[in-house]
Amino acid sequence: MKEFAPLLHGYWYLLRGAGMTVLMAAGSIVPATVCGVLLALAQVFGNQAVRSIVVAYLFLIRGIPLLVLLTFTYYLLPLTGIDLPPFWGVVMVFAFYYAAFMSEVFRAGILSLPRAQWDAARSLGMTQRLMLQIVIFPQALRLASPPFVSLCANLVKATSLVSIVGLWELTMASREIVERTLAPFQIFLGAAVVYFCICYTLALYGRYLERRVLQGH
Amino acid sequence: MVDISSDVSSRVIEPQTAVARRPMLAMDEVSKRFGSLEVLRNISLSVSAGEVVVVIGPSGSGKTTLLRCINMLEDYEKGIVVIDGEPIGYRPGATPDQRQRMSEREIAAAREHIGMVFQSYNLFPHMTVLHNVTAAPIRVKGVPRARAEERARELLAMVGLSDKMAEYPARLSGGQQQRVAIARALAMDPKIMLFDEVTSALDPELVGEVLAAMQELARAGMTMVVVTHEMSFARDIADRIVFMDGGVIVEQGKPDQLLFSPTTERVRAFLRRYNDRYRI
Ligand SMILES: Nc1ncnc2c1ncn2[C@@H]1O[C@H](COP(=O)(O)OP(=O)(O)OP(=O)(O)O)[C@@H](O)[C@H]1O
Ligand SMILES: [Mg+2]
Repeated sequence: MKEFAPLLHGYWYLLRGAGMTVLMAAGSIVPATVCGVLLALAQVFGNQAVRSIVVAYLFLIRGIPLLVLLTFTYYLLPLTGIDLPPFWGVVMVFAFYYAAFMSEVFRAGILSLPRAQWDAARSLGMTQRLMLQIVIFPQALRLASPPFVSLCANLVKATSLVSIVGLWELTMASREIVERTLAPFQIFLGAAVVYFCICYTLALYGRYLERRVLQGH
Repeated sequence: MVDISSDVSSRVIEPQTAVARRPMLAMDEVSKRFGSLEVLRNISLSVSAGEVVVVIGPSGSGKTTLLRCINMLEDYEKGIVVIDGEPIGYRPGATPDQRQRMSEREIAAAREHIGMVFQSYNLFPHMTVLHNVTAAPIRVKGVPRARAEERARELLAMVGLSDKMAEYPARLSGGQQQRVAIARALAMDPKIMLFDEVTSALDPELVGEVLAAMQELARAGMTMVVVTHEMSFARDIADRIVFMDGGVIVEQGKPDQLLFSPTTERVRAFLRRYNDRYRI
């Protein structure tokens, strides 16, 4: 037990780091989801021009490592004269980056509904918008929710990269404690447990949502 | 709860025979192709108010496509479809090739008057039975919820499903789901109902209950176009039988005339094959 003394001393600092991680992740997931849905809609219903733009965007994002994008933005932003606090800069990068992957998840959800559901909705006189709202989305969201939750967990873990651009969160906090205590094994084990707990909570919540949004399937 | 008598159904569905012989559906020279395959060739079909027309024909003859063109689920290259005097899909022009496409919104509005029941039921799996039936009246037509639910109860009673209103479709048998689908279509107060082989996905013992609901609807005076492979049902319910093959209407007539003394060889061959297959 004595070996874990450094963790006992540092736990409050770690938890504050975890708080920052959660804040950053939550702040990114919300806009990423909104953009993801919009991109998915544009790709499914947009005209040829809109679709090509979206496809090009997805292609571009998928080909760039997040770390590179973060660093690039970190150096680029000041040059453009945009004065964004680093936290929001990072949130912006995460939102745009993950929106691309979320859009794939939502698009797959929408497209995997049988054609017959659309036919049934249209045959009842529903406009495209109403049909999306009450027939397609509720079902597509449910289909998309397992991959969506795993993307969110992925995003939580990816926030550990932001220490590279000097933002303070769980991983950075751990490194600082390690420097003081020289107990990397214990501290990073603690950090791993915290990351795991955040992601596990997310998964549980996802399962709860899935069950609540749609019984009856 | 509510007892199911023909009394209920005649109250539930407005009898339309009073204004007899008014054309409820008029298809005028409709042609449709999938790529190089001509699926409908210059089809003209008129159905009067209260009439029940059964469409038969070999697989691939274009029966499903015909129904889907009527409510514009499928676009077509040529022709006009008119429901009770109102065009759906295209407005006629001075000449046939000057027809004008209606806007999506107008087409959606025109579809309100056409009920459709599909082979695979296509209920909304995330909604209860009651919600399936009330969703479109409430959200499309703006019927107040209380009134929509009252009407849904009447319709579900008519198809014998009063006790299933709170269930989700996945918990119903195929026959029950199909009867919900019929109630769902009727809840929009359509002027005409289209049925596409609505019993062919059902286990044999469940076919009867769905056909009975359709019989009742026909008796109540609903205008219906029915695609089916059930010949004895066709004979019972039809005012007229239309035989399709290769995208054209080959022959049509009164049920007994078409089924027992067809004038064309193609119908005779079709019926021979049918009889061979179903003879025990
Ligand atoms: N979406 C489509 N794309 C391409 N070809 C199609 C499509 N839908 C139907 N077809 C073709 O059009 C022809 C007519 O099809 P349709 O479904 O209308 O026939 P049907 O008379 O309903 O046949 P069945 O009795 O088997 O249901 C068939 O050859 C079919 O393969
Ligand atoms: Mg068919």
